[in-house]
Amino acid sequence: MKKQIRKYSPLIPVYAAYLFLFLIGRNLPGMWQLVAMLLFYCALGQAFNIFLGMTGYVDFGYVAFMGVGTYGMALAITRLANVEGLATAIIVIGFVLALFMSTMLSIAVGAVALRLRGAYFAIATIGVNEGFRFLIEGAKIWNGSEGIIFTAQLNQILGREAASALSIFWADVMVLVLAALAAFVTLFYMRSKIGYALTALREDEDAAKVMGINVTKYKIIAFITSACFAGLLGASSWALKTPYVFPPEVFEIHYTIEAIIIVLLGGAGTLLGPVAGGLIYGISKYYLSVFLPGIQLLIFAPIIIVIIVLFPEGVVGMLKSRLKDSTLARFLI
Amino acid sequence: MQQKDIKKVALFFSFFGFLLVGFTLHSAVAETKDKIVIGHPACLSGQYAKAGEQAVGGIKACIDWVNQEYGGLSLGGKKIPLDYKYYDCESNKEAVTSLIARLITVDRVNVVFSPYSSGLTLRGAPVTESHGMLYMDHGGANDDIFRQGFRYVVQTIGPASLYHRGTIDMIHKVDPSAKKVALAYEDSEFAKMVMKGAEAHARQVGLDIVFQRTYPKGVTDLTPLLSALKAANSDFILGGGHFEDGQLFNRQMADLDVDTKALSLIAAATLPAFYEALTTMAEGVMGPSHWEYGVKYSLQGAKKLGLPWIGPNQEEFVALFKKAVGKDMIPDYHAAEAGAQVLAYVLAVEKANSLESDKVRAALGDLTFMSFYGGWDIDETGLQIGHSMVDVQWQAGKRVIVWPEEAQTGKLYYPMPTFAEKAKGKRAVH
Amino acid sequence: MVLEQLAGNLVQGVVLGSVYGMATMGLSLIFGVLRVVNVGHGAFMMVGAFIALWFFNFLGINPVIAILAAFVIGMGLGFLFYYTAMSRLIKAPELATLLATFAMGVLLQEIVKLIFGSEFRGYNWAVGKISLGITVLPNTKLLACVGSGVIAILLYLWVNKTRAGSAMRSVVEDSEGARVCGVNVGGVYALSFALGIGLTVASGVLLTMFIPVGINPYMGGGYTLKAFVIAVLGGLASPYGAFFGGLVFGIIENGSYTLFALMEGVEPFALTRFLSFVILLAILLIRPTGLLGGK
Repeated sequence: MKKQIRKYSPLIPVYAAYLFLFLIGRNLPGMWQLVAMLLFYCALGQAFNIFLGMTGYVDFGYVAFMGVGTYGMALAITRLANVEGLATAIIVIGFVLALFMSTMLSIAVGAVALRLRGAYFAIATIGVNEGFRFLIEGAKIWNGSEGIIFTAQLNQILGREAASALSIFWADVMVLVLAALAAFVTLFYMRSKIGYALTALREDEDAAKVMGINVTKYKIIAFITSACFAGLLGASSWALKTPYVFPPEVFEIHYTIEAIIIVLLGGAGTLLGPVAGGLIYGISKYYLSVFLPGIQLLIFAPIIIVIIVLFPEGVVGMLKSRLKDSTLARFLI
Repeated sequence: MQQKDIKKVALFFSFFGFLLVGFTLHSAVAETKDKIVIGHPACLSGQYAKAGEQAVGGIKACIDWVNQEYGGLSLGGKKIPLDYKYYDCESNKEAVTSLIARLITVDRVNVVFSPYSSGLTLRGAPVTESHGMLYMDHGGANDDIFRQGFRYVVQTIGPASLYHRGTIDMIHKVDPSAKKVALAYEDSEFAKMVMKGAEAHARQVGLDIVFQRTYPKGVTDLTPLLSALKAANSDFILGGGHFEDGQLFNRQMADLDVDTKALSLIAAATLPAFYEALTTMAEGVMGPSHWEYGVKYSLQGAKKLGLPWIGPNQEEFVALFKKAVGKDMIPDYHAAEAGAQVLAYVLAVEKANSLESDKVRAALGDLTFMSFYGGWDIDETGLQIGHSMVDVQWQAGKRVIVWPEEAQTGKLYYPMPTFAEKAKGKRAVH
Repeated sequence: MVLEQLAGNLVQGVVLGSVYGMATMGLSLIFGVLRVVNVGHGAFMMVGAFIALWFFNFLGINPVIAILAAFVIGMGLGFLFYYTAMSRLIKAPELATLLATFAMGVLLQEIVKLIFGSEFRGYNWAVGKISLGITVLPNTKLLACVGSGVIAILLYLWVNKTRAGSAMRSVVEDSEGARVCGVNVGGVYALSFALGIGLTVASGVLLTMFIPVGINPYMGGGYTLKAFVIAVLGGLASPYGAFFGGLVFGIIENGSYTLFALMEGVEPFALTRFLSFVILLAILLIRPTGLLGGK
C-alpha cells in the first residue's frame, strides 16, 4: 500500500492545484467562469500531453476529436429530447456517444497516420481534421454548416433551472474531473510498460523497434486515450456549456495550437507541465485582455518566443532539471 | 542549488504569488453606484476585430451623447451618467464566459452587450441568463437564437432571414420580367439563414431559382462556382457571406465577365472598403444594410409615424463616433446598431424606472421607437421586428440608398452596367 | 457544356496551382534544410500581400517590381528571425520550433494590424484579360503564373549551379560531413531560412496578382493549411516537389468542382476540399515522401 502511495505521490501537487482552483472559484465572487476557463486549458493540456508528451508526435488535427465529442453530445440531446422518461440519462448517453465517436475517429486516423513520422504525421492529422470538417459541410451531415443549436432541447430535458446550472457549473465540474482523470492516466501510463515503451520510442524509434518493443501497439493506446479525453472534453466544455455546435468552430485548428502552447510552456512529457502551462496561458490571456484590450496578442506573441527560446523544455521541465537532487524531485515528474 | 537557480525559482514563484494576490484583490473591487454601467466583452482582435472596433466606437459615441446632450439617464428623479466597461474576448469562445462573469460580479454592470457574431452571443447567454442579467444582442443575426427560450436576450440587429427580402421586392417592382434568380452564399450558419429567407421569399413572389450553391468559408478562388453560375443565365444574383468573400465574389465576376442585371452581396458590399478595393468593378453593386450613412431617419419622420425619437441625428452620431475612435473614420452599420442599443436601453430603464433586469426587459418588450438607426421593436421572444433593412447601391463611387422608397436618397440604377463597360469608365448613374 | 466548364476550371486550376506551388516552395526549403515546419507561413504571405498593396496604392509601383522588393524584405525578415530566435532552437525539440514559428506569425499579424488596421483591402491593376473561349483569364493571373514558373526556375538554378547552392545541398545531405569539409553550416542555415522566408513573402505578392482583394492581417491562416497539404503532396523536403504539388492541388480543387456539381443534395465546393484532403491522406499512405520524394 505504501508503495502504491509513493508511486502516485506526484499527483499530489496536481490535485492540490485543482483543489485550490476549485475553492477559489466557489468562494470568490465571479471567479468561477475564469476558473472554468483555466480548468479547460489544463484539461486540454493534460489530454493532449498523454499522446504528445509520451511519444513526441504532434497531432495537429487534435481538435477534430473534441469536435466529434461535441457532436456526440449534441446529437444525443437533439435526437432523444422527445423521448419520455430519459431526462438526465440523455446526458450520460451523450457522453457515451462522444466517447464512442472519438474512439472511432481516432482508430480511423491512427490507422492512416500512425505509420508516419514527425512532420508527415502532423500534416496527415491536419488532413483528417480539415477533411472531416469539409465532409460534414459538403455532405450536409448533421445539419451541415448550419450546425445545431440545442439550448431549447436542453431546457426541455432537464428543466430550465437544472439546464442553467449545468451550463454554468456542472459542465465545468465535469472538466475538472476530466483534468484529474487525465492526470491520473498520464501517471499510470508513465509508470507502466506503456510509459517505458513510449519513452524508448521518443528517444529513438528505430532502436526501440529493434529492441523488440511493439511500438505500434503502444502508440495506438496512447493515441486513442488522448483522443477519448478530447471527445469528452468537447462534450462537456463545448456542448454542455455552450449549447450549440457550428462545424467551422469545433474544428478550428486554433485549439490544437493552444494545446501545443500549453503543453510546451509547461513542459511536454511531464505530469505537472500541462497544469502549469494551462494556468500560465489562461491567466496571462485573461489579464492581458482585461488591462490591455486589443493589443494583448502583440504582447503575448513575443513573450511566447522568449519563453520557448529560454526554456525549450518548458517551465516544469526546467524546474525538473534544476531541482533534480532535492526532495521536491519526487513531485516534479 | 546555486544562487542564481534559487533566484530564478524565487522569481518564478513570486510571479505566481503576485497573481494570486491579484486574484483576491480582484473581487475586493466594489463599484460605486453613481453610474450606470454597460458591460461588453468586445471582439477587438481576432476574426471579428473590424466589427468589434466599430461596435465599441458606436457604443462610446451614443454613451457620450446620452451623458452630454441628453444629460444622463433619468432614474428616480435623478440624472445618472452612463459608463462603459469593455474587455477583449479575442473573438474566442473561452474568453467570453469568463469576461462576462467578471463584468457581472466584479464590475457590477447593469446590462451586458453581446460580443459580435451569433456564435459568441450564444456562448455568453447561459451565463447572463443564470444571473438574470439583461443581454443585448447587436451582432448575432441568427433567428434560432430566439427560439431557445432565453428570457433576457434582446436583439437590436435585424434577423438574418430578412436580409434579402427587400432586395427581392425592389427588383421585382422595378423589373417584373426578371424572373430568374441565382443564389450563391457562403456556407456558414448566418449566410445560410439569409439564403433560406431569400429562397422562401423568392418563391413567394413567383421567381425561378435557376442556381443555388454555397461556397466554404475562407474560400480563395470562386471561379468554378462563378463559371457554373454564368452558365445558368440568371437575371440577377443574390449572395455573399462575410467580408473577404464578398470582395472576392465581385472581383472574380469581373475577371470572368459574369454580367448580370443586378448583384446584391451581404455584409461586404456596403462597407467603404469594398469600393476602395474594387473601384469601378463595384459600380452598380448592391448590398442590404442595417444602416447606412445617408438614411433619412429623422425626428420629423418619427413624428409622422407617431414614434418617440431619441438619440443624436446622423451627423451628430458621425461626429461623436469619430471623436470616440480618434480617427477620421466613417461609422458603418456595426457601429450604428451597437449605438442604437444604448438608446434602447436608456429608454427602457426610464420607462421601467428601475435597473432591475426583469423590469427593464419587460419595458423593452413594450418599447417602440425610432432613432438615427431606424425603427426598433421586438417580439415576445426578443427578436427584432421593427427595424427594416435598407438596400444600398454604389453609384459613381458613392453609396446611395435605393430601397425602401421611404428611405431613398436616390433611384436604383438598373440594370447594372457590364464589367467591360465599367472598366471603360461607365458609372451607375443616370 | 459540362466538359467546357471542366476544361475552363482545369485551366484556372493550373494557374492558381502554380501560385500555390510557388508559395509553398519556401516552406519546403526551410523544412528540407533546417527540418523546421514554418507554422507561421501564412502570415509571411500576408506580409507580401500588404507589400504589394502598399506599393501599388501608395507608391504607385506595379506588383512585378513589388515582387523583388518583397523578396528582399522577406530575406531581411528571415535573417532577423533566424538570428534572434531560430538559431537558438536548432538543438531544441521539434515542438519548440513549431511554436516559435507560430508565435512569429502571430506577432507579424498583430504588427500589421497595428499599422494598417483590420480593414479588408484590395487594389486593381487593370492590364486587361485574355478570353480563351472556355474561360476568361485576366492578364494579372497569367503574369502570376509565369512569375511563379520563373522563380521556380531561378531557384533551381541557384541550388544546382551556384556555390552557395551546393553548400546548401551538402548540408542537407550530411550536416556533420559538410561542417568537416569547411562549410559554414550556421551560415547555410541562416541563408536557407532567409531564402525560404523571402520566397514566401514574394509569393504573397504573386497571390495578390491572382486575388487582389480581401487583403487583411488575418488572411494567412487558410494558406498555411493549404501549403502544408501541398508540401506533403510534393514531398516536404523538395521545393520543386512543392511547385508540382501546387499544380496538382489546384487542378484537383477546381477540376473536381464540376464533377461534384453533378451530384444531388451536396455542396460541391466543400466536397472539393474534402477530396483534396482524401488525396493527401492516400498519398501519405502509399508514398509518404510525397510525389517527388525528398527525404
